[in-house]
Amino acid sequence: MATLGICDSANLNGGQKLAVKYFTVAITLFGAQVLFGLMAGLQYLMPDFLYGVLDFSVNRMVHINALVVWMLYGFLGSVYWLLEEESQHEVVGLKLGNLIFWVLTAAVTVVVLVYLLVQVGPGKESSLWLINEGREYIEAPRWADIGIVVSVLVVFYNVAATFSKGRYTGIAGVLVLDMLALFGIYLAGMFYTTNISIDQYWWWWVIHLWVEATWEVMVACIMAYGLMKVLGVRRKIVETWLYIEVALMFGSGILGLGHHYFWIGTPEYWFSIGGFFSALEPIPLVAMVVHAVFDAGARHAKNSNHPTMAWLIAHAFGNFFGAGVWGFMHTLPQINLYTHGTQWSASHGHLAFFGAYATIIIAMFYLAVQHWRGGVWMSGDLPGNGWKWKWSLGLLNLGMVGMTVSMLVSGYVQSQIERAIEGSSWIGYFAAQAHPWFTQGMWWRELFGVMFAVGFVLLVWDLLTIGKGEQRALVPAVSEG
Amino acid sequence: MIEPASLGNFFTIFFTAAMVILLGALYALLFAYSRIRLVPALMPLAYLSYAGLFVSTLVLANAANLLSHPLWVAVVVCMLVGYLLAPHAIWHLCVGTHARGDAVTAKVS
Repeated sequence: MATLGICDSANLNGGQKLAVKYFTVAITLFGAQVLFGLMAGLQYLMPDFLYGVLDFSVNRMVHINALVVWMLYGFLGSVYWLLEEESQHEVVGLKLGNLIFWVLTAAVTVVVLVYLLVQVGPGKESSLWLINEGREYIEAPRWADIGIVVSVLVVFYNVAATFSKGRYTGIAGVLVLDMLALFGIYLAGMFYTTNISIDQYWWWWVIHLWVEATWEVMVACIMAYGLMKVLGVRRKIVETWLYIEVALMFGSGILGLGHHYFWIGTPEYWFSIGGFFSALEPIPLVAMVVHAVFDAGARHAKNSNHPTMAWLIAHAFGNFFGAGVWGFMHTLPQINLYTHGTQWSASHGHLAFFGAYATIIIAMFYLAVQHWRGGVWMSGDLPGNGWKWKWSLGLLNLGMVGMTVSMLVSGYVQSQIERAIEGSSWIGYFAAQAHPWFTQGMWWRELFGVMFAVGFVLLVWDLLTIGKGEQRALVPAVSEG
Repeated sequence: MIEPASLGNFFTIFFTAAMVILLGALYALLFAYSRIRLVPALMPLAYLSYAGLFVSTLVLANAANLLSHPLWVAVVVCMLVGYLLAPHAIWHLCVGTHARGDAVTAKVS
């Protein structure tokens, strides 16, 4: 018998209990990402701020690494959340899964402490192993890299063994293969070559393929599960579309990797491959609009969790604008020559990561809280009209859009002055950095960052309180169409 | 292989590239809405959106110097054909998958 309105672990299965742990660390690291992002943004405006104590390079590193790790935690948590329900079998090797969670979390803590307290080391192999591997976005020292790979392998074991003993669904098949890729592709970022072009070539496998292939597939699986849970969409339809979406994504997404190979010293044919597939990458996104309209029109389902549904909708829009519109605006090499590595890239990166990933993980947080509280009512007519989730949704999304547009303005100036007029010279770099439009863009970015941070605080407050004391049980979503 | 865009064309490229995606989405939206709600009057608007996409693509191609090399011309053609046909293809997939889903449900019940 579920305990309504109270966060009671008796309301959860074994996998879900582990998922809640992953979600807790995920949202903590999300907070760290926001905090270090605000500080790094402030250092654009006040370069002396924390200089020599917590330099921009360290702040930015922690900001981005926290992003990567909180999303990884969010995804792994989501996988554990759906695992028992999907397989209709208790998680195989749950104790090992729990152990690995604590080991991974301890490792992440040590890595962050080393980032903050040690920061740099001598140019020796030992620094790569113990302090910082030096690869942008995946700076974790090599021992931690190995830890991540081992952890993902254990998750793979949990997932594959559970599905092999329980029910094997379409979602299961896709998820098992994806877990294998999640482990395999990360290996590409773990060895070092003295040739910077070759090194960058493999590094992008992690940055692009790990993220745009394995994470996207996990998102597709989570979305499929979420639509069944929240809207009551039939499994047959959801799984068919899972296959179609994965095929479309791989069709253009894998070789879309080529747009990262334009300027790292790879052969010229990457212009053709990268340009071609990058130009075609948004077509599946646009085509999915048809699917969304069809689904909305064909069914008249009531959803059982308004915050989750709202964040799933935010995901659809965020993914479309962040990855689609913001990506395509500067993906062709003819223009990317001037924009890559400027605030343009940061603008695209912020909106795409938030839209494609953060939104769907937040949707899962709400789904988890609903069931952790015993399956409480989270549709309309919430206390206070659900102002906290609505305001946090609004502030987080407006904050992100504001930051994106601000960085776009700064990036536009950079691409013109630093790149096109001054030819990527140091003079050009400083001229662009000092330009009023650039600095104003950075100010606006910081202000919208504060708005985003307020939204984050509200989100945490809401997740801690929504459904508390609620005595109405959720009405499972049933499709009418 | 590539002829970099000129400074004067930056805004044109950013704007038309954004319009390609937005008009592509509008075309898909109107196309699907017209069919699902049985409002044929919206279909000309859908194709008008596609016409806007067509023009945007050509302006983008011109501004980004895509028309001077056969490969990039092929990219432009693929984009135009892809955006035109993708909503049709996805529509057929939607009808097919939902019809199959309904049949399965009917059989079970």
